[in-house]
Amino acid sequence: MSEGTNFGSGRRRFLHLSAGAGLAATGVFGGLTRANAADAVTLYTWSAGVDTVKRQLAEFQKQGGFAVKYNNLPFAQYREAMVTKFVGQAPIDVLWVSDGWLPEWADAGWVAPIDGYPQLLKYNADVQDFCNQSMHYKGRQYGLTYYTDYMAFLYDADKLSKAGIAAPPASWEELVDQSIKIKKTGLSEYPLMLSMARESWLIEFMSSLVFSNGGRFVDDNGKVVMDDPKQGAVSSLQWVADAVNKHHILSPACVELGELNGFKSVASGNHAFALLPRYRIQALNDPRQSHVAGKIKQSLMPAGPNGSHATVAWMRMHAMSAAAGANPARAANATRLIEAFGGKFDGEYAFQKAMFLESGTAFGVKPLFNDADVRGAYEKYGDFSMFQKQESLARKKDVISRWFGEWDEVNGTAWQSAILGQSTATDALKRSAEKWKSLAKQA
Amino acid sequence: MSASDQRSAMLLLSPMMAVLLAVAVFPVLYSLWTSLFDIKLTRMNNVSFVGLGNYVTTFLDPMFWAAVGRTAWFTVSAVLAIMVIATLMALLLNQEFRGRRILSTALLIPWAIPYVVDGLMWKWIYDSGYGALNGLLLQLGLIKHYLVWLGDTHKTLALICSAFVWKEVPLATILLLVTLKSVSPDLYAAARVDGANVWGRLLHVTLPAMRPGFMLVMIYEAMMAVRHFDLFFILTEGGPADASHVLSWHIYVETFRNLSFGTGAAIAYLLALATFGMSYAIIRLLGKRL
Repeated sequence: MSEGTNFGSGRRRFLHLSAGAGLAATGVFGGLTRANAADAVTLYTWSAGVDTVKRQLAEFQKQGGFAVKYNNLPFAQYREAMVTKFVGQAPIDVLWVSDGWLPEWADAGWVAPIDGYPQLLKYNADVQDFCNQSMHYKGRQYGLTYYTDYMAFLYDADKLSKAGIAAPPASWEELVDQSIKIKKTGLSEYPLMLSMARESWLIEFMSSLVFSNGGRFVDDNGKVVMDDPKQGAVSSLQWVADAVNKHHILSPACVELGELNGFKSVASGNHAFALLPRYRIQALNDPRQSHVAGKIKQSLMPAGPNGSHATVAWMRMHAMSAAAGANPARAANATRLIEAFGGKFDGEYAFQKAMFLESGTAFGVKPLFNDADVRGAYEKYGDFSMFQKQESLARKKDVISRWFGEWDEVNGTAWQSAILGQSTATDALKRSAEKWKSLAKQA
Repeated sequence: MSASDQRSAMLLLSPMMAVLLAVAVFPVLYSLWTSLFDIKLTRMNNVSFVGLGNYVTTFLDPMFWAAVGRTAWFTVSAVLAIMVIATLMALLLNQEFRGRRILSTALLIPWAIPYVVDGLMWKWIYDSGYGALNGLLLQLGLIKHYLVWLGDTHKTLALICSAFVWKEVPLATILLLVTLKSVSPDLYAAARVDGANVWGRLLHVTLPAMRPGFMLVMIYEAMMAVRHFDLFFILTEGGPADASHVLSWHIYVETFRNLSFGTGAAIAYLLALATFGMSYAIIRLLGKRL
């Protein structure tokens, strides 16, 4: 086996370019037609808040901004699509990046640090702590947050009341008892909705369970602890398997139920309890979108025997491509665009506020908690103090690493096997831990 | 043909040959070349030549062999089901009866639907919460409560296979019907003279005459089934657990999720060779009897 350094640079260059070209023709052709001039700024996002983004772009251009080529891709395919575009040298200036991909993209040299731009760094003082942590990698800052949220525990107050339950569960044990009670009254066949499908949401659902059980997947030193029965991950997965197979409070179909279908199932009134991204509470309490509008409330994440009410949070940000960062003129434009979206525009965090008001997605900056419009809008469908209280207990995922994407592939198979009773929770987490160790070693 | 004519012919054919070289020959050779390197898109500055290393890694991977087993099960089941159903449909449509044209047209509908739409439709049908299958079975009194379909590891592959068969049967039926239409009526007349009844004519005239059609359908459908990806992507993404983790899904995960283009290309090449080998075996098996 030869190392790449032993090969001619021509061959390596050929492989480098053609690997992307073979499967990312659009990217290559885009790259070939790319004008180096700084006046063509290209923005890539996933397909969220598309109308809000377009409106913000229009405002930006109206107030002296430049033309922006706006592209969006489905979130489920965003990572793969962007990677092929990077390799194919497609024109990208500013892009949305999820915290989970930052180490992979930063190490590959696809995104540029923004810590050389004081006009962007000045907003850090307003940014929430875990968002600040998530925007950094190896001591460098790579973006400016525009959105953050967390996994919330939601319940149908009406069903609880009908079942004679005075308060939502404070612990996972209590949740089992209440669910069994609700099931016996015939109010719901499967009182709990938990999405365990093979998709990017799986790690968020499991992390919230693990954190609330006082557990970790990986400790602060990067050591794998997910297979240690004392560290909460094994007991969390066992709890899910028991909820399906022993207590029958969670449908075995949870392994095919993605987050979106889970939300729809809750909106149809099929469940009494659900773990869902917090922003879903807006749609769940909207009569146009939900049969249980007005009945869905949020309470703190139930706690495990050794745990707390902690949950998992995620963060998304605007970042600058390495290609834009290497060209001062393009970088200047990219910086302006990032500031218009992630920073203040017209004297306020306009984009984050608009996203919150229109989609219910949370923001990464503290001043918006004191915004009367924000509070007023939220109080129409949710408890603002509960929103804040749970967010203060939210933590960044501990599995964010360069190999996160590849590691997460194994989890779907391993964890679903345990949930379906084909393997034990210990074996499933052992499989995840072994994959983590092997990938860490390769890295 | 004169030398001048040959030169003119070559000149006229050369644009198409260039296109074929670019879109057919080059990708095949390039994927072979790629499979000899350790190419990870996240570290393109460190690409190393590994020779047959990617193939060795693949052969040592138990997930690969499990995927091979599932792919084989899916292919054999799908091809058998398609052959049986398409043969029956072709025999039916070969008869003269009222409404035959409408039935022939309706038969084409599944074939005309793109696989993505087909996948989404079956996802709704199989859904354990609001799916039409559960609704139908419940109304017929065959089940007492909604069942889990795609989420059940024992049913998943069979359900995906059914969706695949539904989509592929029309084309197979048309191919077999064309073969049936070419059977000379004299053969049936001769069989009647010899005293053959309906079953006798089916066994000794119709089915032997359909052998070229069977071979064509078997090769085509086996190739389609062994490489099939769309329904696995839309319906289950290889799950639940690894119940529908077939070879095509394995290639997708390795290439696009793990971004390991070298290993992905090696597995794709193995799949291409297996497809070629399987087609050759079918031709050898059935072709020599033609």
